[in-house]
Amino acid sequence: MNTLPIAGAAATRSWLGAELRARRASATLTLIAGVLAAGATIVPAYALGLLVDRIRAGGDIGAILPVATVIVVAALVGGPATGYAGYLIRRLGSRILADLRERTVDTALRLPAQVLDRVGRGDLLSRVSADITAVDRAVSEVLPTMISALLLAVISLAAIAGIDWRLGLAGAVAVPLYVLGLRWYLPRAAPAYAAERVAIADRSQQLVESMQGIRTVHTYHLEDRHLDGIATASARARDISMSVFALYTRFVGRISRAELVGLGSVLVVGFLLVQKNAVTVGEVSATALLFHRLFGPLILLMVTFDKAQDAGASLARLVGVLEMPLPRAPSSPAPGGGELVLDRVGFAYDDGPPVLRDVTLRLAPGEVVALVGSTGAGKTTAASLAAGILRPTSGTATLGGVPVADLPARTIAIVSQETHVFAGPLGEDLRLARPKATDEDLAAALDRVGALDWARDLPAGLDTVVGDGGHHLTAARAQQLALARVVLLDPAVVVLDEATAEAGSAGARDLERAAAAALEGRTALVVAHRLTQAAAADRVVVMEHGEIVESGPHEVLVAAGGRYAQLWGAWSARSAG
Amino acid sequence: MISNEEKVNHILRRAVARNGKHLWTGTALAGVYQLCAALVPVLIGVIVDRAVSTGDVAALLLWIGVLALTYLVLVVTYRYGARHLQRAIAQEGHLLRVEVAARILHPRGLRTDRHAGDLLTVSTSDADYTSYFLDHIPRITSSLVAVGVSAVTLLLISAPLGLAVLIATPIVLAVLNLTAPLIARRVKDQQDQAGRATSLATDLVTGLRPLRGIGAQDAAAERYRVVSRQSLDATLRASRTQNAYLAASTTLSTLLAGGIAIAAGWSALTGRITVGQFITVIGSAQFLIEPFGVLAVVPSWVAAARAAAGRVASVTEAGLVLPEGAASPADTRCDLRLSRVTHGSLDGLDLHVRPGEFVGVVAHRPADAEALVRLLTTPHGYGGDILLAGERLDAVDRGRARRLLHVEPHRTDLFSGTLASNISVRAATGADGLPDALRAAAADEVADLHPDGLDAPVSERGANLSGGQRQRIALARALLARPPLLVLHDPTTAVDAVTEHAIAGGIRALRHGPDAGYGTLVITSSPAMLAAADRVVVIGDGTVTAEGTHAELAAGDETYRRTVLR
Repeated sequence: MNTLPIAGAAATRSWLGAELRARRASATLTLIAGVLAAGATIVPAYALGLLVDRIRAGGDIGAILPVATVIVVAALVGGPATGYAGYLIRRLGSRILADLRERTVDTALRLPAQVLDRVGRGDLLSRVSADITAVDRAVSEVLPTMISALLLAVISLAAIAGIDWRLGLAGAVAVPLYVLGLRWYLPRAAPAYAAERVAIADRSQQLVESMQGIRTVHTYHLEDRHLDGIATASARARDISMSVFALYTRFVGRISRAELVGLGSVLVVGFLLVQKNAVTVGEVSATALLFHRLFGPLILLMVTFDKAQDAGASLARLVGVLEMPLPRAPSSPAPGGGELVLDRVGFAYDDGPPVLRDVTLRLAPGEVVALVGSTGAGKTTAASLAAGILRPTSGTATLGGVPVADLPARTIAIVSQETHVFAGPLGEDLRLARPKATDEDLAAALDRVGALDWARDLPAGLDTVVGDGGHHLTAARAQQLALARVVLLDPAVVVLDEATAEAGSAGARDLERAAAAALEGRTALVVAHRLTQAAAADRVVVMEHGEIVESGPHEVLVAAGGRYAQLWGAWSARSAG
Repeated sequence: MISNEEKVNHILRRAVARNGKHLWTGTALAGVYQLCAALVPVLIGVIVDRAVSTGDVAALLLWIGVLALTYLVLVVTYRYGARHLQRAIAQEGHLLRVEVAARILHPRGLRTDRHAGDLLTVSTSDADYTSYFLDHIPRITSSLVAVGVSAVTLLLISAPLGLAVLIATPIVLAVLNLTAPLIARRVKDQQDQAGRATSLATDLVTGLRPLRGIGAQDAAAERYRVVSRQSLDATLRASRTQNAYLAASTTLSTLLAGGIAIAAGWSALTGRITVGQFITVIGSAQFLIEPFGVLAVVPSWVAAARAAAGRVASVTEAGLVLPEGAASPADTRCDLRLSRVTHGSLDGLDLHVRPGEFVGVVAHRPADAEALVRLLTTPHGYGGDILLAGERLDAVDRGRARRLLHVEPHRTDLFSGTLASNISVRAATGADGLPDALRAAAADEVADLHPDGLDAPVSERGANLSGGQRQRIALARALLARPPLLVLHDPTTAVDAVTEHAIAGGIRALRHGPDAGYGTLVITSSPAMLAAADRVVVIGDGTVTAEGTHAELAAGDETYRRTVLR
């Protein structure tokens, strides 16, 4: 499984069926209002047909009165019914969608790390953003139109058939032509629209990359090259959208053909029936008017079909996420501390070679252990296993005797190199760690990691909007926030994975102090390539090629003259001048 | 000074002028299409009147033939008219987009407050919305045609009826349009709330790892639920307004059409018009609602296009940061000299990098380092002198200045492609020197980790590489460019100590061999880098506070030792 699952048509339908059943009363009311609205719409045409006959029969002026009454009443009932039905359809759809998007995001947030690593975040991101937006738009713009047009078409045809079944049949001749038009169009449109979306996404990517990397573009005089790339991508999107549109115009041509055939056959059959005195001229007129009245709604119905198809594809991708198995909620009680133990753990990604072999590591409560070693030694993997983010392929990772993956989520915190400032007020970012934290709690946590001064100096203090689209925070400050979250969370065990790496040298020292403050009183596993962090730890563990090669206090290892002494030499010799 | 109004008019006029052929052909065809559509209800009346009522077979065949012919013309004019218009619109959108992008990427730097996301909107949605102006012209034209045809038909049948339709319809539409601002406000609120929910979901999933790291999934899911419910409320509010409008407009337009039908029925009953004319009046009155509706909303569309054109103009007409440089100093062995420079936190900085020299800079305050890098990248808004090979830096032609003085930003920007495409960015440099540059930056190890080597894929912004890998690739790219003067800003913060040492030696070997003549300036507090430099300049409080070799400074300067000793 290298992508997130997509629900099949049957699964999507059964999901939709279940949602509608759960809202049976609301769905029924919606249908009744829709039928009433469609009925009221066609009554006037019917009444006018009767009037035609009265006129032909040379009726007196009084004949206008009942017809006028019917038309006015139909307008007064039909208008509000149309509005109410529109609202009910939208409400039903929006409520179902709100539940769906909440469940989707909830599931997305709980997907196992390994699944996420395998499928990549892009797919998940596009589901929680683009797909939800697509379904939302369909529910707002497409669904009400489709349902009311569909009801109007069905009830109009029923009314025509009620006048005379042969007229109904004549009108119904158009139906297969409409269907054929759709069946011609939809299979061609779907890939064309998909290609258009890809081209537009490619164009956006070129634009975004160039704008975000503008300093590099300038530095390497790549302006022309990037502009060429943008122009080419934009021209391709333009050409594809024109060919998609050409397809659309041919589809509209087919719809027009269906209109002509339907209208023509109603008039011709009407002509013949009038000759046989089977129907009146008024009834033929009413039929023709009803039919002409349908053109607008029908064309709307047809052109919304591909949007509905699109939304259907997005819906299947959302329902697909819901179907994913989640790790069962941990039931073990939190141990009141205890030893963090990796016992002969091994780990391999999928079928890849093992990245960890037989690693055994014990951290006494309150002990700070530094993991060092060169790139690819398996430090991050070991840290992820200790934090319960990954599950060992062999061996066990336990805290106080309980497997770490079964612990309640907030027992062990891990801060990785990947920082993220959550968009919104700074205080809200911190409250993710402790939703009920008071302002004083937040200030205390920031103070502990040495971030309070700059946080107070922000334009609106802790209410300053940070993250994407807000006030920009440097990498070092983002890391300080991550550490402040740990302080708020107050876990027994903390795993730090190269948390100071990207800050720049000057910032790194502040971060080391912040990390030390955040770790105070906790059991901690620190992945460090800045060896000052290792030197400050209670114990240093050196890893090479997925195995532990040395372990002991800093001074002991330096004196031992092994691998760590070598690393320390490279680190400190030149520092000393 | 050209007013914004004039810039907008210029953009729209130019859009019409440069797409004239497709625009006017399409508009003419769309007019014919609308004429045919307006004729359909007329023909229904004629067929009932001349054939169905009379039983005249020849008349039936004749008028069904006319109906078919009308449809044929309708289909053909629609197909080709719409294609010509679409061509004009898509082409204009494309041209505007490229124009906006060219301005944004201008070598002399765009003077703008807009951030990247905002600029993306201007180059995508706003360029598109501006081009839709070309859609408004044919819509107005064909709506006028439809109104004209129906009006003539109605007036010919019955002058009072025709006048009633032509006066009452616009009034009803105008009344309905009074609610437009309220609807627009509610819909905007709905879209804003939906947008908030989307950004929150995106943000939470983007930060999923840190989120999971502190076990905050529940808090995050709850936060999303709250925003999702707010979005639902806004949707329902907007829907109530929209559907109240729908109810009112349906009621009014049905009453209008019904009123006309009743009046026409009365005329028919009193023998003033025929049955067929009665049907035509009903059909046309019904048909007229649509073109009148278009004419009623067109002002708001045009306003939207003008607003978009205004935003496009704010980029395409925006000024540039740097003046046009004309100076073109010789391209080898050039030096860089800063004298009493003030900018941001810099306060009288003197700095000289001679040809062939490897200079390390240690800044006690990060702001000083950032100001120095910013100034060398974009020499704008400073006091004192910055001379490149004796010429004022801001007077040097931009392309030339960037070739001579290469400033590699600390935040590495990689582009989607491969390792190779990211390193050999200029075709001209070719593979010549590539292995040396790779080795010097320790980027060969990055390539070795992947089975495809240098052809390993790089995803958008290099997201599939670690921070250290990105730094090494960017460094190899800078070294391969072989600029006479190279400025690096904290180039090795994410690589381990052993590799850092190797890189420092690599840069020294590659750029500072005998007679190489290259100058290198590294702003860093890495002892490995500083030890490799010929000379170290220490900046404290915006000015030079100490100078010497790394060994001298480390031995004699306590502050220095604290800064670089880690």
